[in-house]
Amino acid sequence: MKAPSVTRRQGLLIGGILFGLITLGLLIDGGGQLIGDVAGVFSVSYLASAIRLTVPIAFAAMGGIFAEKTGVINIGLEGLLIIGAFGAVASLYALSATPIGANIWLAFVLAIVASTIVALLFAIVCIEFKADQIIAGLAVWLIALGFAPFASIIIWRRTSSPSVGTFSTISIPGLSALPSIGPLFEATPPVFLLALAVPFSWYLLNRTTFGMWIEASGEDPKSLDTAGVDVRKVRYAGVLLSGVYCGIGGAGLALNTGQFVGSGDTMIDGRGWIGLTAYLIGNYNPVGAFLASFLFAGLEALQLQLQQIAGYDVSSTLVGIIPYVAVLIVLTFVGRTRMPSAAGEHYDSDE
Amino acid sequence: MEPDEQDERATTGTPPAVHLDGITKRFPGVIANDDVDLEVERGTIHALVGENGAGKTTLMNVLYGLYEPTEGTVRIDGEPQTFDDPGDAMDVGIGMIHQHFMLVDTMTVAENVVLGDEPTKWGGIVTDRERANRETQALADRYGLEVEPTELIEEISVGEQQRVEILKTLYRGADILILDEPTAVLTPQEVQSLFGILRELIAEGKTIIFITHKLGEALEVADEISVLRKGKLVGTVDAETATREELARMMVGRDVLLEVDKPAASRGDLVLDVEAVTIEDDRGVVAADSVSFGVHQGEVFGIAGVDGNGQSELIEAITGLRKPTDGTITFDGRDITTDSRRSRVSAGMAYVAEDRQKRSLVMEYELQRNGLLGRQHLRPFSDGRLIDWGATGEYVDDIIEEYDVRPADPTAKAHSFSGGNQQKFIVGREFERDPSLVIASQPTRGVDIGSIEFIHNRLLELRSDGKAVLLVSSKLDEVTQLSDRLGVMHDGEIIAVVDPDEVTEEELGLLMAGERPDNLDVDGARVRRSSV
Repeated sequence: MKAPSVTRRQGLLIGGILFGLITLGLLIDGGGQLIGDVAGVFSVSYLASAIRLTVPIAFAAMGGIFAEKTGVINIGLEGLLIIGAFGAVASLYALSATPIGANIWLAFVLAIVASTIVALLFAIVCIEFKADQIIAGLAVWLIALGFAPFASIIIWRRTSSPSVGTFSTISIPGLSALPSIGPLFEATPPVFLLALAVPFSWYLLNRTTFGMWIEASGEDPKSLDTAGVDVRKVRYAGVLLSGVYCGIGGAGLALNTGQFVGSGDTMIDGRGWIGLTAYLIGNYNPVGAFLASFLFAGLEALQLQLQQIAGYDVSSTLVGIIPYVAVLIVLTFVGRTRMPSAAGEHYDSDE
Repeated sequence: MEPDEQDERATTGTPPAVHLDGITKRFPGVIANDDVDLEVERGTIHALVGENGAGKTTLMNVLYGLYEPTEGTVRIDGEPQTFDDPGDAMDVGIGMIHQHFMLVDTMTVAENVVLGDEPTKWGGIVTDRERANRETQALADRYGLEVEPTELIEEISVGEQQRVEILKTLYRGADILILDEPTAVLTPQEVQSLFGILRELIAEGKTIIFITHKLGEALEVADEISVLRKGKLVGTVDAETATREELARMMVGRDVLLEVDKPAASRGDLVLDVEAVTIEDDRGVVAADSVSFGVHQGEVFGIAGVDGNGQSELIEAITGLRKPTDGTITFDGRDITTDSRRSRVSAGMAYVAEDRQKRSLVMEYELQRNGLLGRQHLRPFSDGRLIDWGATGEYVDDIIEEYDVRPADPTAKAHSFSGGNQQKFIVGREFERDPSLVIASQPTRGVDIGSIEFIHNRLLELRSDGKAVLLVSSKLDEVTQLSDRLGVMHDGEIIAVVDPDEVTEEELGLLMAGERPDNLDVDGARVRRSSV
């Protein structure tokens, strides 16, 4: 696979400039006080919170890459994140009779298993029964969107869970003591997992034999089949990996917050959809997808903090749309994404 | 009529490399292969010829393990074999080079060669690309196949892609190579280089089975030629002594006129005038660059060239399926550059599209409704509001009878017909419109030899009737035989307009590859428009 093209980098650059422009736009009639307030938003702790918000988006995005590169478009990422988040909190709640220390990891693993099982069902429907991938993916989202709050009501009598506990922060000895950037090395396990998952995913796709099969499966499954590799197995693996990644992303988000929120669009709140956009902007490259995810998460963190600056009469709804407007603008500038040629197509080996 | 050239080979000590012993393959309702006996000696090239649907590919799929024979035995080097899948066939050294290349465009040459059987490092997880490159290069050097292991498939020519396909099978240790219609997409020069490679391979002790319906190629490269017709082996002949006429008769079961008998042209008024037309393809890349030519009444203007040099876009612009970015197109003296497709049809432009399933037929419609397509708004098929199914039915019945479409069932859906019969139906529908201009793009692609003869004759009849015919074909013999003037397209330009009776195949090949031979009048290119 090729590295992100120059236009793509420019796209991300434009996104970066957007940060500045949006800030500037808010300044126009704000005066000096606002400059100071907004400038105060950008700090190392802001960066740390942006990275925390990147976790669910980037994991969903990388999961989506694995599925789609094998030829199965998984637009159910949002649903899988919901299952991951709910699964983690519900498991931890059920286990909470015992001390939290080891259980939170057990809950984390169970959430991944739950999300992967749903992904497996999606894979079976798409690969064995040749269902339309887009419709099946929508079904995953809608089912998760209905199931998680429903189960919440059964367990907790309301759509959201009580607080069940969070991952504790891990500090990397030495690095976290560094001046100014130190706080970046004090984070919860999902953040560190993300730091490992990005290079791991890139390596898996670009250097391993399995990665080669993934690419062949999405580009030209017949060639792969003739070469004696079972396309079905590769596609299952790709979709299951998307389940695992979304499980990590959803559980990571929930166990950072310590609670499952099932009202409205649930606590996932469109992050799976943003993840889908992120990997398209990143042109199916995990590193690019991570950067795009980080951009969105950064804008999200920005709008959250802007809303908290007291004393300005800007509608919070208006501030809230900043990340989405940014997505639209970046998509416009980012140029053409090359989809895998056989993405979305069923493969029938006995043809 | 049955020729009787069954090869009487003296029994020798070594068994043949491939022995298909009484192979019968039945599908529900069809016998694709009927008791076929085929022997191929080690170190020889064996051509398998036959019309579309004669059972060539089925037979090879049996040999390659894709199908299990209903009856009969496959023997490799004398040993009976049963293959459950192509993997088993590969294990005993049988490799298949498919007509449609099995290559992943976004991967490199070497990655494609080793795909599925990768050299690995670090415990078998990571592909050892250096070794893959090295081994590909070594194999390529050994058999004289020129490729660059690190290039991407999408960046190399079709001829090179075919060499990669051959390397893939060699890498897997194939001793017996099956090539399915390998020359369909090659220029004459590339064909010659392929034949060179095949000779190199048999010199190294490989055995080659070469599926084709081009008799000339079979005669040129093969040692022996087997002919299949309607699933049966008609005979095996020695390529040294066989003739084209003899082979054609064996294939079709009757005498076939191989050379087109063309009366002299009587050129009339200019019908289509294309002037400095520039067209962009879907990606916005210039596909045809300032192309000019004209087609007159009573002449066939041919356009030759390797697929993908702008012919498709040019035809789409003329027929109204694509907007040119520059230039004018005049039809019967009227500027139609921006006219709709519908008004062009109404004005008398008939179009036999290159992709019949995509452009010419609705596969899920029966012939009746397909026959109406394009004229559903015109009399006598419609009074402007309702369709007159009676008139449509008569019209379709006439086409079916006149153009010998089989089975003669106007209520059968298009997809249930063979390619040749679909094409005959389309040709009938378009030609019977009483058009003033017929645009025929690859009119005989994937069509059997009997139907080709028929379509060619119909085109020449239109010409005699004073119609203008624009013919695009990547088959050289077709365009040279039918055309009165022949434009050669390369890289979006008509680089020369030649007289097909005077130009040699070598010169055409060079033109198609973008080189204008010294001895060819350069003016041929300059006076592109001998019209005006």
